[in-house]
Amino acid sequence: MQPVAASGFLTATFESTAAELDDFDAVVRLHWPAVFRFALASLRDRDAAQTLTQDCFMNAWRGRGTFRGGSTVKTWIMRIAVNLVRDHARNRRLQFWKRTAAHALDIHEAGERIPDEQISSEARVLRNEQVRTVWEVSGALPEKQRTVFLLRFVEDMDLLEIAAAMGLKEGTVKVHLFRAVQAVRERLGGAQ
Amino acid sequence: MSSHLSSVEISEWAAGTRTRERENHLHECAACRGELTRLQGALSEFRDSLRSWSAGQDGAAPRPVWLTEGPRGVHRLRWALVAVVMVLLAAIPIYRSRERQRQADTSLEDAVLLEQIDAGVSRSVPATMEPLTGVVSSGSADEQSPRKK
Repeated sequence: MQPVAASGFLTATFESTAAELDDFDAVVRLHWPAVFRFALASLRDRDAAQTLTQDCFMNAWRGRGTFRGGSTVKTWIMRIAVNLVRDHARNRRLQFWKRTAAHALDIHEAGERIPDEQISSEARVLRNEQVRTVWEVSGALPEKQRTVFLLRFVEDMDLLEIAAAMGLKEGTVKVHLFRAVQAVRERLGGAQ
Repeated sequence: MSSHLSSVEISEWAAGTRTRERENHLHECAACRGELTRLQGALSEFRDSLRSWSAGQDGAAPRPVWLTEGPRGVHRLRWALVAVVMVLLAAIPIYRSRERQRQADTSLEDAVLLEQIDAGVSRSVPATMEPLTGVVSSGSADEQSPRKK
């Protein structure tokens, strides 16, 4: 009886997960910021990030019938976003000359947006510098390392979720993440 | 514990590879704990900063028509299509009936026209000469009358 109960529970869980897509408007509202943020941090281009985010949800809308609830809706949507970022990066390599500098982000902007807190100006300068460093290093990472790094440390996804979103094994994700963290530590001055 | 965690071990820990031995060491060693805290702090600040900055980049979710009203729009379009088909189906018999009536009227007109043409063609003299034929007829009748007398 136990397996039947477990199976019933899993079926119910998958159905409830898939049912989230019934209110697609709510799905968009909930996950749009994460997809946009991931696209923005990956592409470093505001317009491209907006277009990619729209494409991501358009693809999700069209493919919502194929979603079986094997993962969370967030993981499923992030997988679409990861694929779009990868495709975009490939196209950009071919059409780099089309990219306009006007749309590219100022790489130092990110460091200026630390939320206001009661900290000293000296500490604020140090934090800004750290954020800028991490921003720069993450931008220079190889694509997979950057994606893993952003999903783990910006989107707070666990290793299994990242593996599902990227179509990789958990061990491979760990390796990419380790290399990314090591690169960040080297630039921050912590790695000996 | 004499030795500290290596750079690789700290990075591995931050990347999610954790062992009981390293956990114990971090619990006991303030230097390694400080190193890890510093790294995690930088990553945490990066996340907060990026989230805050991204939110200010006009990245709010729009309410695109294709998402919010897509299904309803499709349903409306489907019903409109059904209505158009039904109107067309209802209009076909009426159209056919009118077409038959028009053809019948045309046939009648054609028949009348044909009769007129036949009548015109069958005349022995053109219409403009008809009065003359009357005169000629009456003249010849007058000529014959005295002979009878």
